[in-house]
Amino acid sequence: MTRRQLMHHFASGAAAAFASPKGQASPVLGHYAGPALPAKAKHVIFLFLAGGPSHVDMFDPKPALLKFQGQRPGTVDLRTERQTGGLLPSPFTFQKYGRGGVDVSELLPRLASVIDEVCVIRSLYTFNPTHTPARSLLHSGSILATRPSLGAWSSYGLGSENDNLPSFIALTPGGGSGPFLRNGFLPAEYQGTPFNETEVEPEKMIANLRNPQLDAKAQRRQLDAIQALNREFSQSFGADDFLEGRIKSMEAAYRMQFEALDVFDIRQESEATRAQYGTTPFANGCLLARRLVERGVRYVHVNHNAGQDWDDHKDIEKSLRKRCPAMDQAAAALISDLKQRGLLDETLVVWGGEFGRTPVSESGDGRDHNPYGFTMWMAGGGIQGGQAYGATDDFGFKAVENRVSIHDLHATILHQLGIDHTKLTYRYAGRDFRLTDVFGDPIKAILS
Amino acid sequence: MLLLLLALAQSPDLFESKIRPVLAKSCYGCHSSKLKAPMGGLVLDTKAGLRAIVAPGKPAESKLLQALSYEDQHLQMPPSGKLAAPVLENFTRWVAEGALDPRPDAAAPANAPLKGMSVADGRKWWAFQPLAESPAPVVLNKAWPKRRIDSYLLAKLEEKKLTPSPRANARVLAQRAYLDLLGMRPTYAEIEAFAQDTSPNAYEKLIDKLLASPHYGEAWGRHWLDVARYAEDNPTSEATNPPYPYAWRYRDWVIEALNRDEPYDRFVQLQLAADLMPGTPRLDLRALGYLGTAPVYHKDQRLSLDVISTFLADDWDERVDAVSRGLLGMSVACARCHDHKFDPIPTKDYYGLAGVFASTMRSERPLFDVDPQVETRYQWLERRLFDLSYSRNTLVGEPTTVIGSEARVALWKEEIAKLRAEAETLPPKLAANLEKYWRDPAAKPVPPPKLVADATGRRRPGASNEPFMNTVYDAAQYVDGSDANYTWIHYKPGESRDLPVFLRGNAASPGEITPRHFLSVLAREDATLGPGSGRLTLARKIFTDSAPLAARVIVNRVWGWHFGKALVGTPSDFGTQGDLPTHPALLDDLAARFVQNGWSLKWLHREIMLSAAYQQASQRRPDGDRIDQANTLLWRMSPQRLTVEAYRDSLLRAAGTLDATPFGVSQDLDLATNHRRTIYGRIGRGGLNGLLKIYDFPDASQTSPGRDLTTTPLQQLFVLNGAFVSRQAEAAAKRVTDTRSLYRQILSRDPSPREIDLAASYLANSSLAEYAHVLLSTNEVLFRP
Repeated sequence: MTRRQLMHHFASGAAAAFASPKGQASPVLGHYAGPALPAKAKHVIFLFLAGGPSHVDMFDPKPALLKFQGQRPGTVDLRTERQTGGLLPSPFTFQKYGRGGVDVSELLPRLASVIDEVCVIRSLYTFNPTHTPARSLLHSGSILATRPSLGAWSSYGLGSENDNLPSFIALTPGGGSGPFLRNGFLPAEYQGTPFNETEVEPEKMIANLRNPQLDAKAQRRQLDAIQALNREFSQSFGADDFLEGRIKSMEAAYRMQFEALDVFDIRQESEATRAQYGTTPFANGCLLARRLVERGVRYVHVNHNAGQDWDDHKDIEKSLRKRCPAMDQAAAALISDLKQRGLLDETLVVWGGEFGRTPVSESGDGRDHNPYGFTMWMAGGGIQGGQAYGATDDFGFKAVENRVSIHDLHATILHQLGIDHTKLTYRYAGRDFRLTDVFGDPIKAILS
Repeated sequence: MLLLLLALAQSPDLFESKIRPVLAKSCYGCHSSKLKAPMGGLVLDTKAGLRAIVAPGKPAESKLLQALSYEDQHLQMPPSGKLAAPVLENFTRWVAEGALDPRPDAAAPANAPLKGMSVADGRKWWAFQPLAESPAPVVLNKAWPKRRIDSYLLAKLEEKKLTPSPRANARVLAQRAYLDLLGMRPTYAEIEAFAQDTSPNAYEKLIDKLLASPHYGEAWGRHWLDVARYAEDNPTSEATNPPYPYAWRYRDWVIEALNRDEPYDRFVQLQLAADLMPGTPRLDLRALGYLGTAPVYHKDQRLSLDVISTFLADDWDERVDAVSRGLLGMSVACARCHDHKFDPIPTKDYYGLAGVFASTMRSERPLFDVDPQVETRYQWLERRLFDLSYSRNTLVGEPTTVIGSEARVALWKEEIAKLRAEAETLPPKLAANLEKYWRDPAAKPVPPPKLVADATGRRRPGASNEPFMNTVYDAAQYVDGSDANYTWIHYKPGESRDLPVFLRGNAASPGEITPRHFLSVLAREDATLGPGSGRLTLARKIFTDSAPLAARVIVNRVWGWHFGKALVGTPSDFGTQGDLPTHPALLDDLAARFVQNGWSLKWLHREIMLSAAYQQASQRRPDGDRIDQANTLLWRMSPQRLTVEAYRDSLLRAAGTLDATPFGVSQDLDLATNHRRTIYGRIGRGGLNGLLKIYDFPDASQTSPGRDLTTTPLQQLFVLNGAFVSRQAEAAAKRVTDTRSLYRQILSRDPSPREIDLAASYLANSSLAEYAHVLLSTNEVLFRP
């Protein structure tokens, strides 16, 4: 028995009190038919900071910004979304951390303390300077609103380890929708199921999870009555796949209510664990993400907040000082917690926004969108931590060294899941589609 | 060790005689090392390739057998239908006995580059051939066929030694007819009326009655709206691509047009070019919503030339895709970056078609008549003012570092003032609709259209009752990158534009100019599209040059909506990568007669529903399951799960709460007070209603080839715990007094003695409303037998 199986074994003891279905959870097969690469990760947790977090203030120090402050050298004359001014130095100090001496700014002391687990990629680039298209690109590889998301592809390719829970879950304040949970042309079951992470009570996070009128016993009685009639009907009608399937699905739904009440209830965690993560919706999301991958959910997308709060067009110093500590705490806690439970090796954690921010100013004290060069990081799941990979130019505007496109990022994530990104295809509208279209290469240099 | 022995014991004969021939016939078409892009990267003509999906000695772990077994609904091979049971047994035996593959271990031959079909070869493709009626096949059982289609079906059944199923009973026939034609379950009284009509043509009368019902258009309009990717906003809905306030008028037009049985050719032509067809009644211009409410992307003038050009090219691409897949079953959008890899579609054909949409601009038009020249000017003014005021407003309050910004803003203001002066000479109702653009900037983007209170009093952004409609008109679009800081799109009314081929699909790498033209493989003689944008010639050529294809495509769709499975299993892909028809002669004959009968959809429904095949019982039979489990040959009717619309509408009807008022501004389906038919619910591309989402409503950002009907636990949570179903249960219970009347109200039938007993034991401790909830939750409610 592995450590993880052992843990499941014990976990199921507690849940059995709810007549929980742990014992009945079974895997759902995936559809990936290409060569099986050695899978380093079984799960992905994608921490998404909508708006575009500022890489030059967090992970990519650029001393030249101070030297040329207020100037506008020719190389920074790149067109972004809005009008920009001269170079704006970062007000934050950077230090080198961990065995690889990775630069992290003063905004992120806790991530700095776990930097040996983290590979900071400083040479991402994407293809559009506007939020929604760039978000669509990051989540689905295309600006078209018709393509499946990374989570949908992962769940389609690999299936699920626990058929009592959706294989692709999005934790997002206020529920909501967007490219991050889109199934596009993939069948509807691969769509991300959104749960509201601003709530901590499961019944408030999931629509229709609790029956407002009946207690568990009365509900069982109601379901028994429904199923008795369903069986009557099947008997008079005859064998039919849909009729059989829905009888089973009713039972699964009944079980899911209690499974979910357990799984989605972060209040079951110890005081110490909850304190480690913090109390913001994002902290709840990170903690819940850990509980979900523990139970076999394939892909968990965590939105930092509703809206796009990392979109610092103005007053960036004050905003980052206010916003970073809680994010820093929760993301670092997730890494430590996964590691401590032996889950980090099989869970790939990805962090980032749809683009970065410009080294030139906007509105005097803010920064505009920057798709030309930005930072993301990955941890666990077979990624070599404690290093920074790639580089932007002297000012942090454009990725210049070991450039990583969002397609390369996708290829890398799939690669860690044991999938050759060129072989995960879906036949639609006359051709085979891929997440990476005709692009992308896994970043081999950052694998452990 | 044991495996090894088994492998040694197995003779290569089994593989060579029973396995390899089947692989060659049924699998190599998609899974061969000779293909450039074998499906899923899987090749079966090499030893290594086959070995990857076989676990010798372990049938249960062999993916090959899983796929062949058809047990997993997403992994079923070959796609053309399950192999016969004896063939499957051979495969299982072969795997169980060690899966000996006597082929050499040689490396796969080098991939020969794959070339798409040439246009000349493409002209021979089955789907493009002229339609011909054929003499109905001779069958043994002469008593069974009721319509011509029955003879075609029966001939194939007899070939396989299968018999059709007996006729379904009156109750089932009534349910099927109401659900199919009206999208709602029949009431108890409606079923009884039919069951008691003993006249020989009772069923025919029922079909005719339902075809004449105004609810017919609501059910079939919804099918069409899936193909037309109807929605009321944009995937992203930013400031420059706000919701379409009059989209609902297009939806209403579709319903009205189907109710009056607008011939399908004209039905489609109006949607592409109503404004260019002489003598079109004003209200039929609403049909242009097909193009006028298509998805568009955000185009802020501050974005670069490349970004804006790409967005615009993506908009045109969506139209090419919707028209080619939706109307012609051809995946032309595959040829955007290179010649189609499989089908006879050169890249030039793609840009020849895209040019039509580069010469067509979305617009708002008045619902009332105006002078045509004034109308064209109004459409241009409306968009130009939108762009100018948006730019002006975004720069107000934005500290500017671009030299000359103030001068630019001054120029824009000047232009707005000039256009305002012109607009004020327009008919007052038109001028009034433009006022929002010259209101003084308040550092805010253009306000969204007026809030409209719906029937519930809730104000809904985005939709409007003003007398306008979302349409298109002929105007060429050009991106102007001459100002390094502001990228403008110019609209040139009356002009048209031939596009360059964008090399590798990249709008920044224009190649040779391609005159607008119809698809080469379909065009007869002159392929030119024009004058004007070419929309009208395109609309006409679809029904002249490619009439056989257009007819096959719609007939196949309608067949699929009735039977649950289309004759061509890929309704939006009739190309070489799509499925072949299961009954080619039947499809051709039916399509030929459909055209002869004036492209009448009601004729087609009648022809299908009066057939003996359609009226069969839907029960499984051991002989049928053995020979044709997928029911491809239609030895029975296939039962179906209801669509979300039919399901919700039927729940409302069962509860007696349905508000059957037709037409008008859409309402949010989540409103507790919304009791209208589901087709009148608001459809969003960015955020789709939760109920629609869990019940497999298709993505409204692209034309849908058909719905994938799933059964998931989240659906059951909606049924068991959701407020909507409990409200309907309470409403239903209020209308009845006992178990019998409750059964009649909800399931439109009387309960069996056993069901009365079950109810009695439950009702001993529960209310009638609780039992109504039980009945509303049963499979029967969601099931078309």
